[in-house]
Amino acid sequence: MIELKNASFSYGAGSTVRDLSFTIDAGEFVAILGANGAGKTTTVKLIDGLLKPTSGSVLINGKDTAVTRVSERARQVGFLFQNPDQQICRNTVREEIAFGLTAVRGDLGEDGIRARTDEMLREFGFTGEEEPFSLSRGQRQLVALASVLAVQPEVIILDEPTTGLDYLECAHIMDMISRMNREQQMTVIMVCHDMEVVLDYARRALIISGGQLIADGPVEQVFRDEALLARSSILPPQIIGLSLRLGAGFEQVTTAEEAAEAVLRLRTGKEAAE
Amino acid sequence: MIRIESFSFTYEGEKAPALEDITLRVEEGGFAGIIGPAGAGKTTLARAVSGIIPHHYPGDYYGRILVGGLDPVDTSLTDLSRIVGMVFQDVESQIVSSVVEDELLYGLENFGVPHEEIPERLETALRQAGIENLRERSIASLSGGQRQKVAIASIIALRPRVLILDEPTGELDPVSSRQIFAMLKTLNEAYGITVIVIEQKIMLLSEFARQLIVLSRGKIAYQGPAREVLSHADELLQLGVNCPRVARLSMLLSERLGKPLPVCVNLDESEAQVRGCLHD
Amino acid sequence: MRDLFQYVPGNSLIHRLNPVTKIFLTVVICVAAFITDRIPYLLFLLCVDLGIGFAAGVPRKALGILKGLLRIAVFLFVLQALVVRRGTPVFWIFTDTGLVTASKVVLRLIVVCMPLAMVLAVTRISDLANALVQVLHLPYKYAFTLTTAIRFIPQFLEEMGGIMEAQTARGVEFDTKNAFRKLGLMLPLCAPLLISSVRRSEATAVAAEVRGFRLRTRASGYKQYPFAPADLAVLLFSVLLIAGAVLI
Repeated sequence: MIELKNASFSYGAGSTVRDLSFTIDAGEFVAILGANGAGKTTTVKLIDGLLKPTSGSVLINGKDTAVTRVSERARQVGFLFQNPDQQICRNTVREEIAFGLTAVRGDLGEDGIRARTDEMLREFGFTGEEEPFSLSRGQRQLVALASVLAVQPEVIILDEPTTGLDYLECAHIMDMISRMNREQQMTVIMVCHDMEVVLDYARRALIISGGQLIADGPVEQVFRDEALLARSSILPPQIIGLSLRLGAGFEQVTTAEEAAEAVLRLRTGKEAAE
Repeated sequence: MIRIESFSFTYEGEKAPALEDITLRVEEGGFAGIIGPAGAGKTTLARAVSGIIPHHYPGDYYGRILVGGLDPVDTSLTDLSRIVGMVFQDVESQIVSSVVEDELLYGLENFGVPHEEIPERLETALRQAGIENLRERSIASLSGGQRQKVAIASIIALRPRVLILDEPTGELDPVSSRQIFAMLKTLNEAYGITVIVIEQKIMLLSEFARQLIVLSRGKIAYQGPAREVLSHADELLQLGVNCPRVARLSMLLSERLGKPLPVCVNLDESEAQVRGCLHD
Repeated sequence: MRDLFQYVPGNSLIHRLNPVTKIFLTVVICVAAFITDRIPYLLFLLCVDLGIGFAAGVPRKALGILKGLLRIAVFLFVLQALVVRRGTPVFWIFTDTGLVTASKVVLRLIVVCMPLAMVLAVTRISDLANALVQVLHLPYKYAFTLTTAIRFIPQFLEEMGGIMEAQTARGVEFDTKNAFRKLGLMLPLCAPLLISSVRRSEATAVAAEVRGFRLRTRASGYKQYPFAPADLAVLLFSVLLIAGAVLI
């Protein structure tokens, strides 16, 4: 469980968040939304303890991040950065995955680490001999994700995981994460600009605007609050935007499928009335 | 404006061609969007049109490209850049100054624009990009979207006839991304600049670009007006290209209602289409 | 640390000086610091540094730079004081000569580094390049290389910070208190850092070329950099600083 209690962080004129208070339970899938520069990345770095709050506190499983070290927490909390190149530091994909494991999963032993590495390679479809820096950006993002997931963290934080990826790569990564969320109760906290991805995968949304938390609720409910979205410069996913415009008969519509069904339903209703 | 005929290119040291047998045209004043999965050759195409290929990246070059009547192979990169302006994917690496005004001055000075013309050029470019208020700002203090606008302004100050942008909204939020596209639309419609933009956000492309080019494994999979290309939604998905959900809705409706409907590319069209379906 | 080298817009007297004058003053302060052998004069030069920072309206920056340098200075001071074994012992194993020599070394370091960093805070990078080309007739290619290298510093630091952060998050002990261990952990990261730097410098070269880099001549610069009375005053002041260093 992650608890933020009035956590604030300020650094010069740059990244600032004020008075953040919220709780994220094990197994949740949370999206953090907001405009560029609203403080989303600062928020997730506070959660991981990469940044220490200048006031207030952040607790992971009851332990204050101000007193524990980030490297010790890596076993519990995995962090996928926006730029995979900052994460990758080995010459082959196999070494890269084993590197993270060796750092935090000494308990597995040499054989355990080898077995776990093989498992991840299979799962992600790598041979292990690829050189990370000759792969495409999307493939490198997958390598970085594989080495984070290999240690089986309780929580994973994703900072714009889909930036620079094409649709298939994006779906591949999100499906993988979504499965770990369902099957192993892994908590997912995701900063994301693609509202369609948020709608498809996340269950709860937090909106940060000007460094403050201005909304917290189920994804769909947040996307239907037009005044709120306008205030935080967020555009709703297309079909929700459409359903807001169409009004009566389309209130519950979130997907193209549902929209088409609503149209058919309303047409039959009209024919019956006539 | 741009004619590409049976163009193929293989980077030096690579076995497989990055682009194979590309034939396409972009008319003067056109707005073309290029989309495709990773490794499809999008950036290679932008490099070839702007002349960075073959001048900076050697390799096997077949076929012919003409940009405003010039062949990039026989024209120096500098001469070519008088016609084609390129905004690179990594904005940081393109910026050479610490203040917005200086960034715009840089290219103008280099190309020897007469000094008495410079103030007017500077102001026009700032106005076209909608960033007059940022003129004196330090670039380090700007947001990602503002920096992208500065990068574009510094290119349009040179008055190119073609503007090529490589994923200009990659790191921007949805609102800033739309602002960039709205700006490109103005440049295209009001100032007649031909725009070619590589972009992963299909929603923006289908709404703003008049011509859509889908690349896959170095070849053109589809090209044509956005509506026409998007009607191949299922095939596009196979290639790794998503399609906007309102376009999908159009296709579902036309299937369920058993009558052909045009593919919608934005919310306004979609709203009108759904209302039409309810009232006929 | 990252914004240490970044330009702070302003319209102070210092901002308006000819970029060449600013470089000249910086060089003069360095030379004076090496000529003089007296601690009071070094302290005076330090006051000059700070005075420039305040006059330029960037006191926070000046103090920030000073704070950053002090950290290195403490380390150097101890090292230097331990190495010098001449003189009479005053405290534990430190000698009087050792302490004096160490103070001088550290003061010189601070006095020399401060204006170097501050020039960048009060001079637009393109003014720096243009003035070097127009006034000192440096070929543009070299001026551009110099300013690009300067622009790379904060980007490089940011990249390094990002890499260390990412590695810490995956369990590498970059948050250790042991400086030697930290240094050892940093070495393997040089490869990714180098790769991204090379990529970036290639991209910069291409981007500059398509914006007419090759066409640039000495006459290209739009802004002119004439010497004003204020520049002459600074030149006079510079002569006095050198004279002071020699005579006092």
